[in-house]
Amino acid sequence: MALQLSAHQQSFLLEEERKLVERAKENPRYFAPLYERYHDAIFRYIYRRVDEEEQAYDITSSVFVKALQGIHKYEYRGLPFSAWLFRIAKSELYQSFRDQKAQRTVSIDKVVLKQVIEDWTEDYRQEDVDRLLSKLRLLKEVQLQLIEMRFFEKRSFKEIGDITGLSENNAKVKTFRAVLKLKQFFHQIE
Amino acid sequence: MLKILLDRTEPSADVVKQQQNFTQILAACNYQKQVMNPWRYWYFPLWILAVLMIC
Repeated sequence: MALQLSAHQQSFLLEEERKLVERAKENPRYFAPLYERYHDAIFRYIYRRVDEEEQAYDITSSVFVKALQGIHKYEYRGLPFSAWLFRIAKSELYQSFRDQKAQRTVSIDKVVLKQVIEDWTEDYRQEDVDRLLSKLRLLKEVQLQLIEMRFFEKRSFKEIGDITGLSENNAKVKTFRAVLKLKQFFHQIE
Repeated sequence: MLKILLDRTEPSADVVKQQQNFTQILAACNYQKQVMNPWRYWYFPLWILAVLMIC
């Protein structure tokens, strides 16, 4: 998944972004560069979590409408603007799950599954894939989110922290615990 | 119920861009602003009331 967020963590880009946000606060039309920069990343974040493409487009548009409506409340706290957008996206996503407009979905590449299983077992078998997928369902939503972002979307801990509102270290610790939990479930004898 | 999809194809960046653009989002935002404005529903009745009171 191509998420071009690491560059935005650089301070000069954060400063440039801050200026763009200030302009957008004065006139919503100036929100366009921010929209162009993050629309694709937000869409893909949502797309991977809902089962239908149309719903992903709908939720993405409501994220940007909410962002435009709330831009005057946005305060720069040294985090990339995308962190704020991802939080709106997360809240819109869970609202659509609650309203039963969309179904919670996890999109996984088989290659990633294979890597995980090969790390945990001696050889790769189809039954292990099925077992791992069924054990994913046993995780708490928070744990699933962390595993999803770290392993299925290959995000950095810094990025995970920005999105979830945790510090980088806390994101690392919580992800490690979530993986440990999944590993326990995986090795549990039924 | 959690749904798991394996090796799902994602639409390309161009397709995503074609599906949605900033003008649409801005229009949706302006429309919502209009609809959410309570004065929108009181504007004409208040005018009529004002005219009637003046008369």
